[in-house]
Amino acid sequence: MRLAYKSDDDAPVSGEASPAPVRVSARLERLEAESVYILRELASFARPALLFSGGKDSAVLLHLAIKAFAPQKAPFKLLHIDTGHNFPEVLAFRDTRARQAGLQLIVRDVEDSIRRGSVRIGPDGSRNAAQAVTLLEAQQEFEFDALIGGARRDEERARAKERVFSHRDAFGAWRPRAQRPELWGLFNRHIGVGEHMRVFPLSNWTEADVWAYIIQEQIELPSLYYAHEREVVRRDGFLFPVTSLTPAEVGATSERIVVRFRTVGDITCTCPVESEAGSAEQVLAETLIATVSERGATRMDDRANSAAMERRKVEGYF
Amino acid sequence: MDGAIFPLRASAETRQVRFMTAGSVDDGKSTLIGRLLLDSGVLMRDQAASIGDDEEDLAALTDGLEAERAQGITIDVAYRYFETPRASFIIADAPGHEQYTRNMVTAASVSDVAVIVIDASRVDGGALKRQTRRHAAIAALMGLDVIVAVNKMDLIGWSQERFADIETAFADLAGALKLSGVVCVPVSARRGDNVVRRGGADWWRGPTLIEVIEQSRGPATRHDAPLRLPIQAVLRDVTSRFYVGRIETGSLRPGDSVVLGPHAYPATIASVRIGGRAVARAEAGASVAIEFEDERDVTRGDVVAAAGARYARSVVADVCWLDETAWSKGRRYILRQGTLETQALIEDVAFVHDIEDFSRREGASSLLLNDIASVRLATRDPILADTFAQSPGTGAFALFDPQTNQTCAAGMIREAIT
Repeated sequence: MRLAYKSDDDAPVSGEASPAPVRVSARLERLEAESVYILRELASFARPALLFSGGKDSAVLLHLAIKAFAPQKAPFKLLHIDTGHNFPEVLAFRDTRARQAGLQLIVRDVEDSIRRGSVRIGPDGSRNAAQAVTLLEAQQEFEFDALIGGARRDEERARAKERVFSHRDAFGAWRPRAQRPELWGLFNRHIGVGEHMRVFPLSNWTEADVWAYIIQEQIELPSLYYAHEREVVRRDGFLFPVTSLTPAEVGATSERIVVRFRTVGDITCTCPVESEAGSAEQVLAETLIATVSERGATRMDDRANSAAMERRKVEGYF
Repeated sequence: MDGAIFPLRASAETRQVRFMTAGSVDDGKSTLIGRLLLDSGVLMRDQAASIGDDEEDLAALTDGLEAERAQGITIDVAYRYFETPRASFIIADAPGHEQYTRNMVTAASVSDVAVIVIDASRVDGGALKRQTRRHAAIAALMGLDVIVAVNKMDLIGWSQERFADIETAFADLAGALKLSGVVCVPVSARRGDNVVRRGGADWWRGPTLIEVIEQSRGPATRHDAPLRLPIQAVLRDVTSRFYVGRIETGSLRPGDSVVLGPHAYPATIASVRIGGRAVARAEAGASVAIEFEDERDVTRGDVVAAAGARYARSVVADVCWLDETAWSKGRRYILRQGTLETQALIEDVAFVHDIEDFSRREGASSLLLNDIASVRLATRDPILADTFAQSPGTGAFALFDPQTNQTCAAGMIREAIT
């Protein structure tokens, strides 16, 4: 699946052996250094958790967290808010990766929030927005003082305004007009009782940066990020995956074609794209010439309304 | 989507330039950003859907939040990403509206260079707008180079004479602010002339706007300053202790002699690691883990520095007040410099800068949102006496209000009082 692309020049050097620093892309080097710096700012938090779904951004985030704290273990618990509509191979990857990292994985289910009555699902059946409620319930249950997420500013317009250290009040609400100014790297990490911080170490990464880094660092991903055959129904310009949760509607014609996912979220609102890209290099090549944004191509939940993300964020969504 | 100039976006093997944009509400700044995104080919079809056939709607691309769409102005810093074959760019888009000066300060603090957009059709007799003077003053204060996009040249028939008037007016402004190396480029963001592709005036022999931005100087200049490595945390494994942090200025290699803290305890660097791998050298910007030859008592807030680092408990600094709650005398704040947090007190306000006519208002007893003032500040613990001009990483500080936890000021050390 992944091709080793490093040359011998990039082999690890011992302290004395090489006169020059290890050479990687100047741009990835700057991004990695910044993300590691942000993650290390969390060392003095009492109960930080890293949001880990098994998706590619969270896989990169976990990789950076491990690097930032080596040789010590990363001082984070892993948290996943499970909509109950996730792809089984992603959940299996999530569990394996958490085990390999030796970090405790906490899973909280939207299903339980529905049972408790704290969440009601709208007519479209998507549980994506409902995650915010379950997330805040988990934050309170464990008294997490920092929730670290893999959201990127290039994903969506409301996210483009997000701080790296984004303060949430005791209700978990984001107040876009009262954001703290964020100066140089001098992050304001102070929070009051019951409040928490959302922290976004990948803020300045683009989709292409993420893929280039996945190649450089040989980061493993769930298989559905790469080309595979899948049964889908074409409708409204989207490819809808046919699964037991999302069977083809009566009268709709399904077909088996080769696809990959650009984002992996709730099955009911995440669509694959047609692609033959079977390796991270091929995915990067496609990303560089893509004409539709990552979320625009694949997420029905954002399409409903151009301010959909902003509304969800105000309510506590990542 | 036939506007793209570059058929393919750049590979990952490019450098990164971070720049901020500033302009008045009507100068066409959002249109310019939309143009940069569109012509560099980074704009995605779904994001461009709102453009339709009217290029002026380019601005709609960059106006983010619902609240600002309702108001018709940009109210916060938004970040945009695009690439050319030579570099990748992060735009910190700062608002032009006067009351949001604090966001421009925020954007400036994470940028390498400032692009100030002015509307050529509304500069009468070379008189620059108050906003423009304000933006240039803040860029100068924050130590950024300035590139001026003289926009809407199409509306004045690409008049070479009027462009020259604006250039002269800006040169006067730059002189007053001690800004050097200002470059003015005539552009039409609406039509796309001289932004990414050439066009508009045959008399213009200079570079396009994007070429000037590409060539702007990045954080590389920080490499020559003396070493400053603020420690974020101490990591331990069975046999060793690693001190981690980001090098703000200078460079570091195993065997280097350094000093620790205000008492300048000497130490020798045993190893330097980046991402878990030992390296022979690390430079400004790198997040490192280091070991010392001998055990040292170092914790978060301490700084690993080149010999000669000076500390002080009192400094003269420019502060930009960013909080709605005004500063009042006697109130204590938390000062963050590097990774150190200590108590601080503004003992005296020497004067408030008027950043439109550059006069000084003395005897201020309070500092209000958006005020920029020269102050004398005392700290409980000694802080590095680095000036912002020489050592931007540690010459800067932030003030937090311990009662509200708000970030209330950006500070730049101008001199130490010893």
